[in-house]
Amino acid sequence: MAASAISTKGLTKRFGDFVAVENLDLEVEAGTVVALLGPNGAGKTTTVRILATLLRPDGGTAQIAGHDVVREAAQVRALISLTGQFAALDKNLTARENLVLMARLRGRARREAQLIADELIARLDVLDFRDRLVKNLSGGERRRVDLAAGLIDRPQVLVLDEPTTGLDPRSRQVVWTTIRELVGDGVTLLLTTQYLEEADALADHVVLIDHGRSVASGTPAQLKAQVGQQRIDVIAADSSAFDALVSVMAERFDVTSRPEQRTVSVPAPGEAGDLARVAGVVEASRIHVDEIALRRPTLDDAFLALTGHAADAPEDERELTAA
Amino acid sequence: MSTVATQPHTYSGPLGFVRDTLLLTGRSLRAIPRVPERLLDVTIQPIIFILLFLYVFGSAIHVPGISYKDYLFPGIIAQTLAFGVIGAGTATSADMAEGVIDRFRSMPISRLSIITGEVVGQVCEQVLGVAITVGFGLALGWSPHLTVVHGLELAGLMTLGLFAFTWCGILFGMLVRSPDAVQGMGFIIILPLSFIAGVFVPIAGMDAIPRAIAHWDPISALVATVRSLTTPGYHSAGSWQLDHPELAMLIWCLLLMAICVPLALRRFNRTLAA
Repeated sequence: MAASAISTKGLTKRFGDFVAVENLDLEVEAGTVVALLGPNGAGKTTTVRILATLLRPDGGTAQIAGHDVVREAAQVRALISLTGQFAALDKNLTARENLVLMARLRGRARREAQLIADELIARLDVLDFRDRLVKNLSGGERRRVDLAAGLIDRPQVLVLDEPTTGLDPRSRQVVWTTIRELVGDGVTLLLTTQYLEEADALADHVVLIDHGRSVASGTPAQLKAQVGQQRIDVIAADSSAFDALVSVMAERFDVTSRPEQRTVSVPAPGEAGDLARVAGVVEASRIHVDEIALRRPTLDDAFLALTGHAADAPEDERELTAA
Repeated sequence: MSTVATQPHTYSGPLGFVRDTLLLTGRSLRAIPRVPERLLDVTIQPIIFILLFLYVFGSAIHVPGISYKDYLFPGIIAQTLAFGVIGAGTATSADMAEGVIDRFRSMPISRLSIITGEVVGQVCEQVLGVAITVGFGLALGWSPHLTVVHGLELAGLMTLGLFAFTWCGILFGMLVRSPDAVQGMGFIIILPLSFIAGVFVPIAGMDAIPRAIAHWDPISALVATVRSLTTPGYHSAGSWQLDHPELAMLIWCLLLMAICVPLALRRFNRTLAA
């Protein structure tokens, strides 16, 4: 039986007094997708940097396809490709020049390297800006080039550190589609993300990490079952409207109410259908409301449900996940 | 990824190192015309110094036994070399902050080649700066008197000096993480040291304290070397290193490399991009 594609045991990394990763155990089977899900500062980036031989662990071991990342770093570098949170490209070269250079550094002759670059340019929809200097590209364009650079010579293990953080919807879609194709090709993928939605869309297995420790793991369905389902929130216009709303809604639905936010919540397993029914009831009652919205469980909800405390994600990112 | 089906050739050992270094040097060289401010540092700056000192301050400076033009140009050439510390430092510091270095470090290539590619690229940039300074000097009527032996000696020492000062700048750029800070600190250190080193006025006429510094300033050895090799009859004096400028320059270069190369490599293995 072949070794796991990625395996860590008791992995620990400290920066001075700060423990970035603590006693982390990971097992990733070849050909699967695992998402490390956690807020900023949870230790995701530190973990992937150790796996990519860029940082030495202080304790525990990490192996890629059976090769130790410290003792057999050279073999590991031949198997793994890391695409970081910050575009790892030379900003004074064009997109295509970057790809050709990376391919040549991987041992390709000039002509071969150009073929590889052009193939990746087509695949990641880079054609429009392939001859522009990287420093003049937008964040989303850079990320696509960056991902292309990570795919040269199809690594066995691909590590993507927050591949869609800060991307526009089109670029996010390109990245997701590419990731799905790669997985179909049998690549093992470890991705880190702050977005529950992204982990859900891409991963076979999700590891929730917080303060460097694994706090929960399982399939997306298992995790979501623990987190709770999506719900519809109705926010009343004022407190008298809220009281009226609670009484009307409680007759029809299984409600929970939060008076301090003037919010009545209804579980909504059926998405749009449920939304329409709730809206219909509110409309018929003629009660003034500010908002009726479908809420998906957010990373915050997941943390609250699984760890008992909220994730310390920055405000703007919380809004993104809740959108 | 289907049309390129063959496996990549694996280069290892010295051949791999040379191949990686050449590829990464190509990357550094391509940046030169694309980052104009870097090019300006090595081209416009020496030209401004030449014009200011030759035509503005020069009329008030009298150097016994030699025309000011012949006195100034060797000094400016040496100063250009010394300013390479700032140029190499700024470029390295900017580069190390980029994620691309992390990409290279996580690739199956020789790690040393990432640094050597940077060094060779920087040296080429400095060669360009020196060539422009020399060319501008010749155009303004500077006429160095070089014998073949002196010419070869000068070329050899200058090449060594370029590498030594570039390595020094690379270490500097790795220790100070912001390019702006490198630029600022570099000027605070290198500018006075080069002024004291007898680039523009003779050391002998300086006040006691700057004269004492100048006697052991490595840039003084550089200036004295270029000047004594290009100007027949000119002899620097005042301290051991000024009495033996070529030997002093050789020692300084080897000393700088012996300190900076291992420290820079050690630092590189620990340095991480943001």
